[in-house]
Amino acid sequence: MTVSSLEPPKHPSTDDAGGLAGPFFLSCPYCHWSTLDIGVEFEKHTGITQQLARIKNGGQVVPSLKEREKAREKRREARDGLAPAREDISVETSDAADPTSHEEVFYNLSSFYKSQLSLGASSQPFSPHHDINFSSPSSFSRIMNLYSSASSKKQKRDKPPPMREASSVAEGLTIHSSSSDHAAIQALKLHGWDHTLTYSQKNNQLDQSIRFASELRPSPTLLCTKRGKRCRACRHILSKPEPKITSTRYKIKLLASNHIPRLSIRALSASLPLPTVPSSAAQGFDYSHLQPATTIHFLLTVSNPLFEPVRITLATPSTIMGKVKSKVTILCPQFDVGANTDVWDEALSSAPARRGGPSDSSSGVANSTQVEAGKIWERGRNWTSIILEVVPGIFEQHRGPTFGGGQRSQDDDDLAEDEDVLEIPIFVRIEYESDVAVEDRAPGTEHTRLGGKEKREEAFWSVLGVGRIKSLP
Amino acid sequence: MSATLTPAPPKPRPTPSKRASTALPRPPALTVDPSALIAQHAALAGPHPILVAANVVLHPHARISSLHGKVLLGEGVCVAERAVVGVQGAVVGASVGGMGAGGGVVVGNGVCIETGAVVEAGEVGEGTVVEAGGRVGRGCVVGKFCTITAASVVPPDTEIPDFTVVYGMGLRRVDTTLKERVELQEMRLLMHAKQIEVFKKLIPNNVGKWMG
Repeated sequence: MTVSSLEPPKHPSTDDAGGLAGPFFLSCPYCHWSTLDIGVEFEKHTGITQQLARIKNGGQVVPSLKEREKAREKRREARDGLAPAREDISVETSDAADPTSHEEVFYNLSSFYKSQLSLGASSQPFSPHHDINFSSPSSFSRIMNLYSSASSKKQKRDKPPPMREASSVAEGLTIHSSSSDHAAIQALKLHGWDHTLTYSQKNNQLDQSIRFASELRPSPTLLCTKRGKRCRACRHILSKPEPKITSTRYKIKLLASNHIPRLSIRALSASLPLPTVPSSAAQGFDYSHLQPATTIHFLLTVSNPLFEPVRITLATPSTIMGKVKSKVTILCPQFDVGANTDVWDEALSSAPARRGGPSDSSSGVANSTQVEAGKIWERGRNWTSIILEVVPGIFEQHRGPTFGGGQRSQDDDDLAEDEDVLEIPIFVRIEYESDVAVEDRAPGTEHTRLGGKEKREEAFWSVLGVGRIKSLP
Repeated sequence: MSATLTPAPPKPRPTPSKRASTALPRPPALTVDPSALIAQHAALAGPHPILVAANVVLHPHARISSLHGKVLLGEGVCVAERAVVGVQGAVVGASVGGMGAGGGVVVGNGVCIETGAVVEAGEVGEGTVVEAGGRVGRGCVVGKFCTITAASVVPPDTEIPDFTVVYGMGLRRVDTTLKERVELQEMRLLMHAKQIEVFKKLIPNNVGKWMG
């Protein structure tokens, strides 16, 4: 709380005369600090940061970079005319009266070091700081030297020329002057302890060498950048920065369930052999009264939504957990499912293809009485059906099951609600190959051939609800 | 009176201010300027005298209590919802609240007491703002153009000089901007006066109830 009030959020507010006319100043609505305290006013109420960069505390205008450059040039010219011993002092004394700002010192110093580096480089072509420039004769000779003698190279490499220190204010030298100390002491005497800065105030300033409240500068709060988010696997855009800053909407249109095979189950003995319409298929089969202890064949149809052919491996516990021990056998646990195609392809071409597909060769469709282990039952463009052999478990219920659920016995041995429902847990593992786009790869994966195919693998558990088992009388 | 007060919608719960107004004796020495704005559910109560000067705005559920000492509201004082002006609770000692006999509360011109604030101060200077949830303890003397920021607590018997901002955990600073610029002070009062004008348009006035 105290920290926020020391460097508070500032907002523009109008000065006197009201309205949007007149000079502006920044002020903190909480602690009422304002830029008037440091003598800064703004002409406009917009672009505060730019305006602030041009105004020193006290209202003086900071010369722009170009102006500073010009001033330096002028000074240099003036210096060239004077005797070298005298000019340095004169420059220093003239600048000491007007202490240079933090940025200016930095700018001076960095330009001085740059000039020193380039100076050293030109006199010393083997200096490590020097980058090769073929246009200059010195570097050309250096290249020639590389080929001619190796000894000279070694000799010169480890000895860069000693660099001169900054020797004047124009070169970035900061001279300690006792007058600034005196000024500080005077200010302390005049304004007292309240005028000095606290540690956290000082820490939050750009220039941390300041001491007094009149030297404070408002600093802008750095905002976080809002970025879009993509799915790592498929590069689908999940969220995008919106013009309205505060809102984030997720655009998840690709659901995972659209990318895994769809399983459907129906009884084999059903009269209608249309696997695509499982709901109407179960006309002659009573799913709510499964005969216990008898083998029932179910048709499990796996349809593939992906555009690549997949290899499916199914697994299931041989006995289902729970009180009713039903046995399940998958006759063909491993098989292939064809690739999905466009919706229109299906509509136009599937009807004739379905009957004459590879299903005829693998197992007979017409004679559906023959159930063979290790063989798929039927196959379509992007679906395959296999046979599931289920032996529903036996359970005894003395009073008989009532599916409306009214007069259930209260015995502990008795089944809880819906425990007589036959549900088969199935583990599905799919393998397929898909195209690799280079930018798609997550940074961890190594062995991806450029533009080639990549083997992918997914696996999940699912539960198939089959029906309700009839209790023994 | 109470029948006319609770007409249209079924009230969710009886408001404490109304109960207080019915429970407490009506202030015998209540002086209300006709230009004041006292909203319907504002309550003025207590045996000690209450003075409401011109252009005072008492929002609904504002409470002025002279139970333990007199209350003087200066010109253009604005008391927001659930704010309480007046010494609360029993007087612990006679010496407490040294300002005037009985330890009353004197609120200066153009003072703004925001939502939920409690002002028990002996004196509050002109143009001071007590922000939402602020508490100014008994016997305080608050200067001109001070700001007690939201939820700040000023302990009893504190003297706060002019142009002070009380913020954070009892920190203080001098609002030099306002102190050195008379035009800003004028502007602040001007804006306050404008705000009162708006309030007069927005809040139905029930001052007649307290005029009699």
